[in-house]
Amino acid sequence: MHRRGVGAGAIAKKKLAEAKYKERGTVLAEDQIAQMSKQLETFKTHLEEFASKHKQEIRKNSQFRVQFQEMCATIGVDPLASGKGFWSEMLGVGDFYYELGVQIIEVCLALKHRNGGLIKLDELHYRVLKGRGKFAQDVSQDDLVRAIKKLKAMGNGFGMIPVGGSYLVQSVPAELNMDHTVVLQLAEKKGYVTVSEIRDSLKWERERACHVLDHLLKEGLAWLDSQAVEEPQYWLPALFSELLSRDITPEEANQMTP
Amino acid sequence: MSFEWPWQYNFPPFFTLQPNADTRQKQLAAWCSLVLSYCRHQKLFTLDVLEAQESPVFNNKKIERKLSVEAIQVVFEELRKKGNLEWLDKNKSRCLIMWRRPEEWGKIIYQWVSKNGMVNSVFTLYELSNGDETEKEEFHGLEDWMLLRSLQALQTDGKAEIITMDDGKGVKFF
Repeated sequence: MHRRGVGAGAIAKKKLAEAKYKERGTVLAEDQIAQMSKQLETFKTHLEEFASKHKQEIRKNSQFRVQFQEMCATIGVDPLASGKGFWSEMLGVGDFYYELGVQIIEVCLALKHRNGGLIKLDELHYRVLKGRGKFAQDVSQDDLVRAIKKLKAMGNGFGMIPVGGSYLVQSVPAELNMDHTVVLQLAEKKGYVTVSEIRDSLKWERERACHVLDHLLKEGLAWLDSQAVEEPQYWLPALFSELLSRDITPEEANQMTP
Repeated sequence: MSFEWPWQYNFPPFFTLQPNADTRQKQLAAWCSLVLSYCRHQKLFTLDVLEAQESPVFNNKKIERKLSVEAIQVVFEELRKKGNLEWLDKNKSRCLIMWRRPEEWGKIIYQWVSKNGMVNSVFTLYELSNGDETEKEEFHGLEDWMLLRSLQALQTDGKAEIITMDDGKGVKFF
């Protein structure tokens, strides 16, 4: 009498069945892969169309860039996150902001001698546009802010301090804490600040106010004016409105320390 | 042509000697630059310290700031160190301002001489600084002491020889 499933024959049969199942599995996987491949091809073509259609817009139109960035944010994509891939290579988003970042660094370096490494976003915008010339692409303040955020992430010593509805862009790694920031905001209106103003507005002790002002002097961000009628005034070149449209003179360029 | 003031001129702290060393260095460099370009523009060759305090350079009436006498002295000392200033008296009350150094003037004068094919001619000092022929040149109106120094620089270079004549000095170019 035969016992079921045992014996050389049964083993061989089992092996054959297994082989057939495996083959079937492979066939199934191959099918899926073929299908996915086809889908990817279609997807890729669509992406390429999208890219070529909008690449120009991205380079030329700052309003489009804002909306594009917002769209990316809603779907959880940061087009500036990595240097490679669809966003930067095909759409050129990365290139645009990278180049802008370089330009921002150049402007800040050129003016550091005057303002100690602190500049109003308005002035930065004005000078970046000037540097790009008449026929260059439109650059908005939103673009600048994004490029600066990128620079900050790369650890270039960049930062942004909110003042008077806009920003002061910091381009040197001077240590500015909350106390310094709030005094800068106070100084924004007139371009200077005094110990009394700090005490009145912020309710600080005299010592705390002096400490902050000394730090700003030490960092080269502020200059002392001791001829003011009531008390010494601390002026910041970065906030001095007359400086806005003044170009760097050859003398200034010669004075810049390497 | 009116004088173009640098941005610092209207910045009130510019008239206070800065406590921070780095900032002060920038400030002094800017002051030296300003004094030299102002003197160049006004063709000033000497400065009196007390008078200078009232001059527009050191006294900006619009923003009601002026550089103190002590600070002016500091600026002048910087200029002296750079070779652009020489004291005329021990009390440091008057000085010569050389917004161009004698060697530089010598070069300019010699260029004019050779460009006009006047090498080997003799000139009196007066002809050079006040003659009709030099009216359009930069060195026109150059004060005697500076003219002499410039010619001396050329002499050292072998490009000129200063001659004493009956009624003053003259120079021959080679």
